Amino acid sequence: MNPQTERQSNAPDAALIDRIVQRDESALAALYDRYAGMLSSVLNRILRDTQAAEEILQDIFYQLWRTAARFDASRGSLPGWLVVIARNRAISRLRKHNPAGGEEIGENSVVLPLNLENLVAQREMLARVKGALEALPREQRAVLELAYFEGMTHSEIARHTGDPLGTVKTRLRTALETLRRNLR
Amino acid sequence: MNGHPTREEDFDLYALGALEGDEKQAIETHIAVCPECAAKLAAARGRVAVMSFAAPRVDPSPRVKAELLARVRPEAGAFVPGPAPRQTKSPVIAGRVFGRWWAAVLAPIGVALAVATIFLWNQNERLDRELANLRQTVAAQQKNLEETRHAADLLAARDTVVVPLMPMPGVPKDSMARVTYNQQMGMLMYDGNLGPAPAHMSYQLWLVPMQGDPINAGVFNPQAGKTEHWMMHLPAGVTAKAFAITIEPAGGMPHPTGPKVLVGAIS
Repeated sequence: MNPQTERQSNAPDAALIDRIVQRDESALAALYDRYAGMLSSVLNRILRDTQAAEEILQDIFYQLWRTAARFDASRGSLPGWLVVIARNRAISRLRKHNPAGGEEIGENSVVLPLNLENLVAQREMLARVKGALEALPREQRAVLELAYFEGMTHSEIARHTGDPLGTVKTRLRTALETLRRNLR
Repeated sequence: MNGHPTREEDFDLYALGALEGDEKQAIETHIAVCPECAAKLAAARGRVAVMSFAAPRVDPSPRVKAELLARVRPEAGAFVPGPAPRQTKSPVIAGRVFGRWWAAVLAPIGVALAVATIFLWNQNERLDRELANLRQTVAAQQKNLEETRHAADLLAARDTVVVPLMPMPGVPKDSMARVTYNQQMGMLMYDGNLGPAPAHMSYQLWLVPMQGDPINAGVFNPQAGKTEHWMMHLPAGVTAKAFAITIEPAGGMPHPTGPKVLVGAIS
């Protein structure tokens, strides 16, 4: 890794965003290296279609290139925003429509509970989420995954699982409460 | 909905996309007029977004990056901070309307205005950034303050217990930890000096209740030579009889599976 590349790879998101605003493609490449794997994983998990996942992935980073000036890294989280956009677009593609609130959200509308600007932090988060999810009862984890990865609403999950709507609501609420506590 | 949503999970459920009909509409209507709840929704979106880490890792083909960079390359370098390029106006029109003399007078003024505009724009950007950094610092300090308050509450409570965790046979004698726990508050503080966990493994702290299975009380990977300190919120009201730390696969397990490293009973 040459010194310039190394500087880019260690630079905070905010600095790279500034450089993208100045039309520096190497800054875009650095942010791509930082977050493409994370986004690709969630896109592939939702779509189960590598080609579609890669199309959306490229479009998201192109959108970042075009709209970087609107992003204020101190007010919102770049990886959080990227993930939300990726999930919304993937679910929209998956279902041909998105009744589950898949709106295009503002660049500063996501605040992650932690900093993911390096791979170590991402790996730590991976371990924490994995542990927190595995600690959930099987039924709670199942409804959470149907909501997150399939974009299902309460009633769609109830129809899918055959469980009463009230049971689904309770499971999902309890799962979110437990996750929030364990990831705090 | 006229008032604020009463439960934090309402924001999480909305961010997840699970709400529908009136429930969804109520949140949307309220968020549009309530900046405080809009901020809560931003935090909820972040919490929900970490679910993406549950997806198995799939790296994209190198072709995607190459195509992306090829796509942006024609625009790359188009913006260069500094004085505006001279050819922003047609010299033909300028010459026709004002004549060469006027153009000679106005051109330096135009350049000066452009430089001043860029200078002011840069100043504005810098001030915005400084303000945003200050906001971030204040938010971080508030979070630290909140954690300090929680710690103070925990330490001050009369029913808080402090449980030393002692090394099991075969574990280095200088491996020590301490759990400070309050059953009513459901709050736990860990302090310890365990060495790094083995490769691809994590330490996991368990609350061993009077009845039922051990409860996960935190997964951690300490660094060599560093004291680990953190707090954890657990379900309130669980009576603990002991705490134990086991070695588990990286990220932790729903139930203890690995060897015990440190154990401490509540006397």
